[in-house]
Amino acid sequence: RSSTHIRAQGRVDAPQASSTMARRYDSHTTTFSPEGRLYQVEYAMEAISHAGAAVGVRTDHGVVLAAEKKILSKLLETGTSSEKMHKLDDHLGVAVAGINSDANILINSARLTAQRYLMTYQEPVPMEQLVQTLCDQKQGYTQYGGLRPFGVSFLFGGWDKNCGFQLYQSDPSGNYAGWMATAIGANATAAQAILKTEYKEGMTLLEAKQLATKVLKQTMDSTKLEAEKVEMSEVGWVNAETKENVEYRVLQTKELTALCDEANAEAEAKAAAGKK
Amino acid sequence: RLETRARRGDRSRRNSIAMSIMSYNGAAIIAMVGKNCVAIASDLRFGINQQQTTAVDMRKIHKIHDHLYVGLSGLATDQTTLSQKFKFRHNLYELRENRKMKPETFAHVVSNILYEKRFGPYYAEPVVAGLDPETGEPFITGMDLIGAMAPTTNFVVCGNNEESLFGVCESMYKENLEPEELFEVIAQCLLAGVNRDCLSGWGGVVHVISKDKLITRTLKGRMD
Repeated sequence: RSSTHIRAQGRVDAPQASSTMARRYDSHTTTFSPEGRLYQVEYAMEAISHAGAAVGVRTDHGVVLAAEKKILSKLLETGTSSEKMHKLDDHLGVAVAGINSDANILINSARLTAQRYLMTYQEPVPMEQLVQTLCDQKQGYTQYGGLRPFGVSFLFGGWDKNCGFQLYQSDPSGNYAGWMATAIGANATAAQAILKTEYKEGMTLLEAKQLATKVLKQTMDSTKLEAEKVEMSEVGWVNAETKENVEYRVLQTKELTALCDEANAEAEAKAAAGKK
Repeated sequence: RLETRARRGDRSRRNSIAMSIMSYNGAAIIAMVGKNCVAIASDLRFGINQQQTTAVDMRKIHKIHDHLYVGLSGLATDQTTLSQKFKFRHNLYELRENRKMKPETFAHVVSNILYEKRFGPYYAEPVVAGLDPETGEPFITGMDLIGAMAPTTNFVVCGNNEESLFGVCESMYKENLEPEELFEVIAQCLLAGVNRDCLSGWGGVVHVISKDKLITRTLKGRMD
């Protein structure tokens, strides 16, 4: 298809008198630009960079997911459902960054996939399988149908019998990768840089939670970290000695407050030492 | 014709299968209501083609969540598939609604799943027993293979020899029994009820579910 043919289809949106080349190629999600880019996918990632940050840290004892809540209002009914953290199955959870309504569709789809796998094979779905199935779905929206991509990035944390504890990140293009520690959402690059220096092998689950809190504090807008602004979940052993079952668990306010206070105190001490 | 079949070595297929597909494997299940508790019990026999006992550790009662159990009688393969389907539906319910299913709700789901196959049914008859996750109120119901519920406040039975099971339950059941007493009653009912049925028996399993406690015991009965 030549570019003239596309223009002739009478798209009402893109104004012809525009400066950049990008405009001609960005209204069709399923077309490449001359530079070989998929603009809609990139714009989707741009949307995510405005969403609340989410950080994931993997250890040999569990995976920690932490996220910054963007919707903060006293009028909000909190209830039991969470803004950023969702359980996909007993051994798997996700943290979301991006458009929440898009995320809900994909989360529902992931839950169904996990249950269908469990039904057929009578064992919990291996993490990479689930991530791949979800990413295949996301990829479909970049190649077929002319629908816009999902404006969501996910951090998957979980466990399976074959590979132990794992952390995966996926983005609107349908690409995914396994990580030891990573971040998505606002200030993700800054968060990644901090993780690169601070992450160590052989951390305990508590150290991972402390690291995640620290990273969140440094990338969030506010100076002091408060438990109401943060959500954290973990996938870890139910009993650390017997190592029989893993469970996905959302951290309670008490534990969160303790972690936030610790991070705040550490930052203050550092600042005071720096001033001297 | 019989001789022809015998010559082909097909002796076992003479009459058995024509009888009833619900009698192919064999089962006996009872559920009873006590004081703030429910009990559900089943036998452990697994037979093939009625005459051959193949296993004596066949669990027919499946856990849905801590306070909800479902027992299935009838064709074993349908028992297995149905229990897996129920688990599937409950897992999704728990993920979406963030709470565990009430027994009545679950019973309606079971009924729905069975009725979907109204004109080509699953050959299994379930018994649902559980406590309301919030109030702790007991609930039991039995169902036929196409999902007709029959909730009661005392006991339900299902299996190959329902008449015997009904008989023993009618005589031995009392209302408002404490968990240990209920265990005793339901265990005796099961063991007595399966004695007259060659397709069920070979031991039993009893679960007594109360708000904070679960009693699970295996029964030793006549192994025949």
